Amino acid sequence: MQLRADIQIKSILKAMADVVLPAVDPSNQLAQEQARLCMGLLDLMARQLPLQYRFDVDELGRLLGLANELHTAVTKNPIDESTAQALAKTIAQGQGVYARAQADPAEVLEALRALRGTTSAVVTQVCTDEKRADLSAVEQLVMASSHEQLQRDRSWLLAQRWEPNPEALPAIETLLAPLPGAAS
Amino acid sequence: MFIDIDKNQPSAKWIEHLRQRYPTEHEIDRVLTRRLHRRAGPGYSPLPLEKLVEGVRALIRARHGEHFEILQPRWLSGGASKLQMAFVLDWHRPGVGHEQTRMVLRMEPAESIVETSRLREFQLILAVQNTVPVPPVFWCDDQGEFLPYPALIYGFAEGVTKPSSAAGNVSGLGTRLPEELRTQLAPQFIEHLARVHSFDYTKADLSAFDVPKPGTQAAEWMVNWWERVWEEDCEEDAPMMRLAAAWLRRKMPTLDKPCIVHADYRVGNFLFTEDDSRISAWLDWELGRIGDPHQDIAWTTSPAFGSYDERGRFLVCGLIPEAEFNEAYERASGRRIDPHAVHWYKVMNAYSMVALTLGTGYRIARNGKTHQDVLVTWLMGISYMLMDDLRDLIEKGA
Repeated sequence: MQLRADIQIKSILKAMADVVLPAVDPSNQLAQEQARLCMGLLDLMARQLPLQYRFDVDELGRLLGLANELHTAVTKNPIDESTAQALAKTIAQGQGVYARAQADPAEVLEALRALRGTTSAVVTQVCTDEKRADLSAVEQLVMASSHEQLQRDRSWLLAQRWEPNPEALPAIETLLAPLPGAAS
Repeated sequence: MFIDIDKNQPSAKWIEHLRQRYPTEHEIDRVLTRRLHRRAGPGYSPLPLEKLVEGVRALIRARHGEHFEILQPRWLSGGASKLQMAFVLDWHRPGVGHEQTRMVLRMEPAESIVETSRLREFQLILAVQNTVPVPPVFWCDDQGEFLPYPALIYGFAEGVTKPSSAAGNVSGLGTRLPEELRTQLAPQFIEHLARVHSFDYTKADLSAFDVPKPGTQAAEWMVNWWERVWEEDCEEDAPMMRLAAAWLRRKMPTLDKPCIVHADYRVGNFLFTEDDSRISAWLDWELGRIGDPHQDIAWTTSPAFGSYDERGRFLVCGLIPEAEFNEAYERASGRRIDPHAVHWYKVMNAYSMVALTLGTGYRIARNGKTHQDVLVTWLMGISYMLMDDLRDLIEKGA
């Protein structure tokens, strides 16, 4: 998916700075302030998005550290049982999630882009050589795989209203596979 | 072969590699090469209207003479690819006398979603001006000698691209026209296309165009043009696009008699006058070429330009069912439509649409190269439907 948040935010900010803000009535202080706040929040979002997941996982790791130390610290002088049980339960849950949080989203994106590049190169090499016996098989693989992905791409963008028959596309929530290792 | 290419700062070696790998018409090669040489340069910054007025003044002075005045300059919106400024020229018009002529400056941004040649656009409109309704064209600054970027000056054409009551998406796409209007516009739409395809281009000054040799050269130039664009611009490669390019090369149709092809012949690209429903001007000739008429036939039938009528039937360009369109065109042009060639150009057109919306759209917004990156980014969203259309077309034709 090439239409990602980074390029969307970048182009929105340029439109706001180059076109919208200069056209906002200078005497309307509320509109001026809110237009700038919109841009400020978008800029903040653009900076945070690439690191958001790492930020959250980092926080989870340190909270687990704190929770474990607290758990140890209060064993000699117990706290009430329900609070202790709740702490133990969230530590166990948190550790499970932390153990599965192994890849940064940026790495996922990098890996999928690398695979797009290598698979595309293979397709070019095979499909431009009519003598290859595997040409038809490779074409069928790519056609099937593209169909699956394009269904998801189109559903992901339904809100843009490009589709002449949007009802024919399943909702994106029904198309996305659960994350590998996700809790059932 | 995998090479780490920085497409935002292309090397001279890579540019030359692309030129050799994807040979196409000389003027198309020139504009594509020019944009790559300039890609690492600055993005587009808002231009004050006065700067454009100065540029227009310098251009007219060089082409026409000293005695004129530019009045009422103002920005015009519309279109996803070029900047437009309307103005009135108070001048002595050759052959007419003193006149206040409404004009439009059409200028490229730093990079455009459709990178084309202003000289080709200028020459083509002049060539067909007595064949179909087009806006008059006056002057061309094809190298950006007078204006910040290459530009054309048109006469203002009366009319609208869609009725004020019609619903539609940006750029006139997805427009739904009322039935009465459709029945009046459709015959003109087809008749004009037939006239363009019958025009004798050999007598016109079309020096910025190359004439393809009989055989597959017209088709090959198309594949080379758009695969080069995809190669130059895409951020994420797509196996489907590579499959499609290879498919196109294996199945290129032959062409005996080239003709003028508009190459963007669709709803949203003609003006009509609302009081009498007459098509008053055909716009956006920038992709025009000397090639295969099936390219235009196939283009109009893209799902991106169509809509559904009140009974749920899909209409080509929101005007007419495809079978009726084909029949009427054959009658008007005297040409037979070859379904295989139409199919090939449907695939080719879908491929080029994906290349420019997804590939170029991303690249130019990423580098802040246009006056409306936000619109270009919005348009990227249509590319997945188009790529699925491309996949579907290949599946049907395989």
